[in-house]
Amino acid sequence: MYGGSTNLNVEDFFDDNTILVQRTLRSGQSISYDGNIVIVGDVNPGAEVIAGGSVIVIGALRGMVHAGASGDANAVVIAFKLLPTQLRIVDHITRAPDDVENLLDEMVPEIASLKNGVVTIERWEVR
Amino acid sequence: MSKVIVVTSGKGGVGKTTTTANVGAGLAALGHKVVLVDADIGLRNLDVVLGLENRIVYDIVDVTSGHCRLRQAIIKDKRLPGLHLLPAAQTKDKTAVSPEQMQELCGELKKEYEYVIIDCPAGIERGFKNAIAGAERAIVVTTPEVSAVRDADRIIGLLESSGLSSPELIINRLRINMVKAGDMMSIDDILEILAIDLLGVVPDDDEVVISTNKGEPVVLNEKSLSGKAYRNISRRIKGEKVPFLNLESEGGFLNALRRIIGLK
Repeated sequence: MYGGSTNLNVEDFFDDNTILVQRTLRSGQSISYDGNIVIVGDVNPGAEVIAGGSVIVIGALRGMVHAGASGDANAVVIAFKLLPTQLRIVDHITRAPDDVENLLDEMVPEIASLKNGVVTIERWEVR
Repeated sequence: MSKVIVVTSGKGGVGKTTTTANVGAGLAALGHKVVLVDADIGLRNLDVVLGLENRIVYDIVDVTSGHCRLRQAIIKDKRLPGLHLLPAAQTKDKTAVSPEQMQELCGELKKEYEYVIIDCPAGIERGFKNAIAGAERAIVVTTPEVSAVRDADRIIGLLESSGLSSPELIINRLRINMVKAGDMMSIDDILEILAIDLLGVVPDDDEVVISTNKGEPVVLNEKSLSGKAYRNISRRIKGEKVPFLNLESEGGFLNALRRIIGLK
């Protein structure tokens, strides 16, 4: 269709092992999967997401999230609004500081990852 | 239009019974034939709020267990000819009725009445499952408190997985001055989390307490703002488009003065 375009080989992506959840997770609802989880919707307070790999939330992440639950230290959490009750990557457990409310007036997508054994949260940018 | 409606919340004390009584009375005042079902077996309140406690002879458990006919247990309201109540039993517990029996009961009631409104008990156990079993439509009541909103969210999830896929929200006891001062969750804060359709907002109002204690639904009080809010909610349940109330009191000398000198 376009001159010079290259079709990527679909089979190269099969190992990624990802599920797509097209709904909002409400309080009391839980999803766990030994792979990556992409959620198109919000994760509300009281809901939990547990993934062997990474978690991507196309919406607000306000509940509990555990990425890399089976030990993958490269797992990340990305959300349009990253406001989790608690965020875990592998065996590192973090939460927002108690004395901080709404750090940012305007929420930007953020990524949480393990860097040198510390859970680090940064503005998400395409690398 | 679905007409078996359950009023639920998860958390206790947010105003389910008050909402059931006022929405029911509101629909009856608009000329509809309405029956209210108190599903809170063991902790019955709806009869008290309606001022009908002393008329109870038979109750919902008598009906489901076959001790009386449905018609014998239903009480007519003393003010509104269209309003009826099927009271809960006070001496039994939630296990006295099964979800299947509730389904059957709702099926019977909707043949006779235009609206069947079920007052759900607090909690998510048997009483809740009974109350939603025969419902076709759900109203979730919350107050602007983090705990009530959290429970409402849980309830919405449970309703959705029970096939009541688009519940509607009533925000009860909103105090606009506290919202403006940033001390209370706003309507937008609540809707951002719950993300369901808003049926109405009822302001915090002393009149509700007064009328509840008297056994007279506030919806029949023409002067109160909360009564107006319930009348609007009743019309929205019928499917009418009614604009939302402006809860800010714009009256008063000072406000008039501010308007004149251009501060507002």
